This record gives sequence, structure tokens and C-alpha cells, in this order.
Amino acid sequence: MLAKLIQPKVTPLLERLLRDCDDIHAALVVTVDGNMCAMQQKKNYTLERLASMGSSLMSLGDTITAELKMGACNNIISENEQGIIAFMHINDKLVLISITTHKNALGMLLSHSRICAQNMAQEVGDL
Amino acid sequence: MSEIKLVFTGSLGAGKTTAISTISEIPVINTDVATTDKAAQRKEMTTVALDYGELSLDETQKLKLYGTPGQERFEYMWPILIKGALGLIILVDHASADPLSDLALFVRYFKPYIEETATVIGVTRTDLGVEHNMQAYHDYLQKQDLQLPVFTIDARNREHVIIMIQALTAMVEFA
Ligand SMILES: Nc1nc2c(ncn2[C@@H]2O[C@H](COP(=O)(O)OP(=O)(O)O)[C@@H](O)[C@H]2O)c(=O)[nH]1
Ligand SMILES: [Mg+2]
Repeated sequence: MLAKLIQPKVTPLLERLLRDCDDIHAALVVTVDGNMCAMQQKKNYTLERLASMGSSLMSLGDTITAELKMGACNNIISENEQGIIAFMHINDKLVLISITTHKNALGMLLSHSRICAQNMAQEVGDL
Repeated sequence: MSEIKLVFTGSLGAGKTTAISTISEIPVINTDVATTDKAAQRKEMTTVALDYGELSLDETQKLKLYGTPGQERFEYMWPILIKGALGLIILVDHASADPLSDLALFVRYFKPYIEETATVIGVTRTDLGVEHNMQAYHDYLQKQDLQLPVFTIDARNREHVIIMIQALTAMVEFA
């Protein structure tokens, strides 16, 4: 079970992401087939189901991007009335999902999440 | 040209993705990704959003074929995919540990649709030498008060899948 193996490696990095960026209210790492690896949050969202939902969305993003031959799908952004959700690959097995309730924090959300995803990729190494 | 939406559902590894790619006349839209959990012992890849393919039965009928993910954690995709479907195919992996309870899970979940939508059962992987009784499926359905045709198919065999689909679309027309 990859998710269990990954959990201790990414948890400190998730904690740092939420600490370093005030605007990020929750973040989680899930496998591409929808298993939860780790989650951190400053609110009390129910995040469990986001593992499978996030993996569906990421795969649809990859599928649509491939259809248009646009290379790799960097991230999927969901901008909503009460916040923004970003989905991005950490590597080919893992996805980072990050959440802000600030409607104007897209740039912040993406840049911090991207750096975090890169650090996680390095931390977990080849899977 | 009339378009008919059909949905393939059923448990992990029953052959939904295989059946759709076996009969689709367009390159299938596929959202299979690497399996990272215990399912990896059975399959390297698993569907996390949907499968989509198309098949023209003749000049007047085009079938739009949707496949669901099989694992219960993707249950939220099932009502999304069933919307507007005129036919439902529940595939059962005959070689799984407990094919009857696999079937029961999907019958239970899709019961409201089964009552209104043409439905067939396709039992796959019967060639793998597992001794399960075919009659058990009929007995189970009878107990549920459901009269559904049960087909034994190999999801890799185009003819098998087409015969089952034709039976289903005939039921759609009479519904
Ligand atoms: N031996 C055997 N293999 C089958 C049969 N039907 C399907 N398969 C195989 O079973 C697997 C089904 O996987 P897949 O289509 O991904 O299942 P899904 O999870 O329902 O989408 C594939 O490897 C097929 O080649 C069958 O009747 N006999
Ligand atoms: Mg599949």
C-alpha cells in the first residue's frame, strides 16, 4: 500500500506548507488511484472523499490535456464562490490538492503548492 | 440517427474497460491510472473517472458507451454517469472471491435505475477454472424479484459483448 509508505514522508512538508502560507487552509496528498496519503487543515472540512474525487479530476485533466497534445497537465484550478482548489501532480503516482477560502489568493496558492509538490517529489524519490 | 447511452458498471476487474475498448469504433477515452493499493495484485491499471466509447449498431442507432470505476470509493461517479442512460450492464467477475456479493452491491446501489432502465448482467472470466455455480446468479436475482438476462461473456471477445449489447438495446426499444 503506497499511501501508508508515503504518509510519514509528506506530512512534515504539508505542515510546512500550511505554516508558510497563511492563505492555504487545507492541503492533502492522494494517490492517482484515489487513496488518501496525508492531510492537514486549519478548518474542519471533511476531506476523506477528496482523495477519490481529486484523483478522478486529475486523471480527467491528464486525459483532456493529452487529447489536445498540450504536454503534461501542470495543474487544475477550481475557482469557486467561496474559495479556490488546486490539483497538481507531485509525480506520476501522487497528487497534491490545496485549498484556500480567499478568492484572491490564486497566485499564492499555486506558487506555494508548486514548490511544495517539487519538494515532495524529491523527498519520496522514485516509486 | 438515434443515440442511446449505455453504462457498464460492476466491480474492479470485471472487464468494463476491456468490454468498451473491445467494441468501440472510436479511440476510447480512458482514465485508467496505476493501481497503488492491494488491487495492484490483480491489475496494474484502474479506472478513476470514466471510460467512453462509441458503437454504431446500424445507420440509425449510435451507442454511447460509458464505463464506471469499480471501487466503492468512486461511488460518487456512479450517479453522474448513469444520468440519461437507457441501458445498464452489470459485469461480474466470476473468478473473484465472492462474485455474488459483488453483484449484490451493484444491484443494491442501482436498484432504482434497474427498475426503470433496461438492465443485463454479464458474467466474465468463467474460463479461469473457478468453481462457482452459475445458477446462483439466477437464484439471487429471483430472490430480489428481478428478471434480468444473464450472459456469460469474455469481455475480450467482440462477438460476446455485441450479442449482449444487442439484447440490451432490444430491451430498450421495447421499454
Ligand atoms: N481470462 C479472462 N480474462 C478476462 C475475461 N474478461 C476480461 N478479462 C480480463 O480481465 C481484466 C479486466 O480488466 P478491466 O477491463 O480493466 O476491468 P474493469 O475494472 O472492470 O474496467 C482484463 O485484463 C481482461 O483482459 C474473460 O472472460 N476471461
Ligand atoms: Mg476499468
